[in-house]
Amino acid sequence: MEKAKIKASQMFILVVLFEMGSAILVGLGVSAKQDAWISMLLGLAGGLLFFLVYYQLYKYYPTLPFTSYVQRIAGKWMGRLLGLLYIIYFIYLSTRVLRDFGELLTTTIYFNTPLIVINSLMMVIIIYAIHKGIEVIVRVGELFFGVIYLLAIVGFLLIIFSGLIHPEFLLPVLEQGWRPVFITFIRETIIFPFGEMVVFTMLLPYLNDHKKVKFACMGGMILAGINVTITCAINVATLGVDLFERSNFPLLTTIGKIQLANFIERLDVLFMLYLMIGCFFKISVFFYAAVVGATDLFQFKNHQKLSFPIGLIILLASITIASNYAEHIQEGLKVVPVYVQWPFQIIIPTLLLIIAFFRNRKKKTTSTP
Amino acid sequence: MMKKIFVIAILFLLLMPMLSACWNQKELTDLAFVMALGVDKGEHKKFDVTFQIVIPGNVSSGQNGEGQGLPIAVYTSSGDTLTEAARKATKKISRRLYYAHTNLIAVSEDIAKDGILDLMDALDRDPEFRTTTELVVTRNTPAEVLVSALANLDKLPVNKITKEIKSTEMMLGENMSINIDEFLAGLVSNGKEPILNGFIVKGDVEKASESEDLQHTKAVAILAADGLAVFKKGRLTGWIDHEKARGVIWILDKVKSTSVNVDWNGRKDAITMALLRSKTKVSVEIKNGKPIIHIVIKDEGWISEANTVVDLMSPSEIEKIDRLVEEEIKQQILASVKAAQKMKSDIFGFGERIHRKDPKLWKKLKRNWHDHFADLEVNVKVDSYIRREGIRTKPFWSDLNK
Repeated sequence: MEKAKIKASQMFILVVLFEMGSAILVGLGVSAKQDAWISMLLGLAGGLLFFLVYYQLYKYYPTLPFTSYVQRIAGKWMGRLLGLLYIIYFIYLSTRVLRDFGELLTTTIYFNTPLIVINSLMMVIIIYAIHKGIEVIVRVGELFFGVIYLLAIVGFLLIIFSGLIHPEFLLPVLEQGWRPVFITFIRETIIFPFGEMVVFTMLLPYLNDHKKVKFACMGGMILAGINVTITCAINVATLGVDLFERSNFPLLTTIGKIQLANFIERLDVLFMLYLMIGCFFKISVFFYAAVVGATDLFQFKNHQKLSFPIGLIILLASITIASNYAEHIQEGLKVVPVYVQWPFQIIIPTLLLIIAFFRNRKKKTTSTP
Repeated sequence: MMKKIFVIAILFLLLMPMLSACWNQKELTDLAFVMALGVDKGEHKKFDVTFQIVIPGNVSSGQNGEGQGLPIAVYTSSGDTLTEAARKATKKISRRLYYAHTNLIAVSEDIAKDGILDLMDALDRDPEFRTTTELVVTRNTPAEVLVSALANLDKLPVNKITKEIKSTEMMLGENMSINIDEFLAGLVSNGKEPILNGFIVKGDVEKASESEDLQHTKAVAILAADGLAVFKKGRLTGWIDHEKARGVIWILDKVKSTSVNVDWNGRKDAITMALLRSKTKVSVEIKNGKPIIHIVIKDEGWISEANTVVDLMSPSEIEKIDRLVEEEIKQQILASVKAAQKMKSDIFGFGERIHRKDPKLWKKLKRNWHDHFADLEVNVKVDSYIRREGIRTKPFWSDLNK
C-alpha cells in the first residue's frame, strides 16, 4: 500500500471515468433489443446493491485493501489463495479491456498495424502512470473529466441537430415482456460495467475521508449509469434495432452519421479520443489494483518494482487470450460472466461479508465483560 | 544522472518510428479518390464496376483557359464480388483506391432486379465507406454511362447528382435523398420496403462522357432524376413516376415545397399553389382487429399563378381554392397508395407503424404482410392553407376584355 491519499471528489471522478470507460463503446444489452436501456438501468440498480456489500466490508476494515482483509476473514491460507485469485482476476480484466481497445483501433483505422504495436503504445503510458502511483492517476482523471464531458455534450448536441434521433425506434417498449430484459440484466449488464466496482475494494482505503466513501462511489456510479443509459437510448433511437444489433461498435456508427452544415461529418475521431481516455482509466484501475494486491500479498516494500512485470504480462496476455475478435466477444458474453464474473463480483464478497458479520458479532460479545 | 539520460534517449529512438504510424501511412499523392461507383451486370463475371476518380488538379475553379483537362477519370473492372472488382482495378490505376469520399453508388436496373443484395454487405461492413452515400438505380442506361457522364454546372458530376437529389427533394418532391443506411434499414425491416431514386441519361448517351458535350449550350446528354424504384423482398419490382412518386414522398413526410394545380371556372390547371411547408402525420387505428391508416397532411403555401378570372382578395374564394387543392392532393396521395398496393410492396412503412402501435396484432400480420398491405384501408385528410398571393391582387385576366 502506498502512503497516498485521495480526496472524495477525485474518487468520484475515478469511478465515473472507470464505469463509462468501455461500456459506452461496445454494444451492451443488445439482446434486449430496443429495451436495452431498461436493462442498463436495472444493471445500475443491481450494481448499487452490490456496492453496498463492498462498502460494508470496507467499514469492517477501513484501512486494509481487499487482499489483506480477506486473510483476516477467511483464514491465512484460504485468504491468501483468494487474494491471489483476485489478483489474477484483475489482470485478466485489464487484459480484456486492452484487447477491446486494440481491436477497435485495428478494425476501424489502423488496419495494417499489428495489434501488439497498438497495445504496447498504450501499455507504455499506463505502466509509467502506475509506476508513479495512484495520486498521479486520479489527478490525470481530474484533468480529463472536463474533456470527456465536453466531448459527450458536443457529441450529443451534434446528434440532435443532425436530426438523427427517431424516438419511435424505441417503441414498442417491452415488446417481448420483461423476460429478455431480465435475462440480459442477469447475464450482462449487472456485471459489466457495474459489477466491476469490486476492484474499488482495493482502492477505498486510500480515501482520506471515510464518511464520504458512500457518496463518492455511489454518486459516481449513478452518474455513469445515467450516462450509459442515455447513450444506449440514443444509439437505438438513431440506428434502429437492426443496425444496433449488427454493429460491433454502435456509438461509432451513430457518430459516423453526424452530418451538419456540409462540413461537419465523419467525426469518428471524437469517438477515438473518448476511447483513448476511457480505456486508459479502466486498464489503469484494474492494473493498479493487481499491483497493489501483489504488493500487499507478497509483502513488497513498494509497488514500483511490480509495475513493469505485471504490465508486460497484461500486454502479452492481451494478444494471446483470443485468436480473433469473435472468440474474444464469445468469451466475454458466454464464458466469463458465468464462471468468472459472478463468483468474483457477487458470490465471494457476499460470503465474505456473512463471515465477517459473524466474526464481528463474536468480537463485540467477547469485548463486553 | 547519465544513466537516466541514456535510457531516455534509447526510449525516444525506439518510440519515434512507432509514433509516425508507418504501417497505415497513406500519402495524399498515392491515393485515388473514388467519388462515385457504378455497378452493372458483368459479361463474364458477376459485376462490372466503374470507378469515377477525381483529378484534383483540374477541379480548381476560375481557370477557363488553363485547367482545361477533364475533372474526372473513369476506370472499369469486373469481379464476382465488390472486393474482388476493387482489387482487380488496381491493375489499371496507379494509385490506391480511397473510398472515404464516395458520395454516390449507381446500380443498373438489371442488378437492382437481381443481385443488389450481394453488393450491400461490402458497403455496410467496410469502415472506409460513408454511411451517407447516395444510392441510385439507373433506368435504361448502364451505370457505367451515368458514372462517366460530365456536367456543365458542376465540375464534379457526382456533385451534380447528389446536389440535384437534394434540391429536387426540396423544390418538387418527386425524389428524396436515400442513402445506403436507409436502404438497408428498409430491406431488413419486415414492415417496410425500400425505394431508390431512378436516374436516366437523356439525349445522346454515347456523347455523355466526352467533353464536347460541354461545348454546346444545350448539352447533348443530360443526367436527370426520374421516378422511384420500388423494391420487394430485395428485388426491383416496378417504378413509380411523376405525381404518384410525389405522393409517396409526401406520405414519407419528405416533401417540403412543391406546386399543385387546380381547375377553375372550367379551365384546367388554372390556378397554381406553391407549397412552402408541409407536414405529414401517419397514425394507425385498430378497429375490429384490423388496422386502418390515417394520413393527415397540413400544408401552407401561396398562389404562384392564376391564369383565369378569379378574385383573390376575397377570403371565401381563397377558401374555395383551398378545398380544391386539398381534394387534388388527396386524390394524388390515394393514387400513390393504390400504385404501391398494386405492387404489394409497403414502401411507406405502415407495417412498422402497426408494429409500434400494437405488437400482438403485428405478429399475426407479419407473415403475409404483402397481401394484408394490398387490402389495407387508408384514409387521407388534407388541410391546406393559402396564405398569400404574391404582389398582385387580382390576376390581369380580370382586366382583359373590359
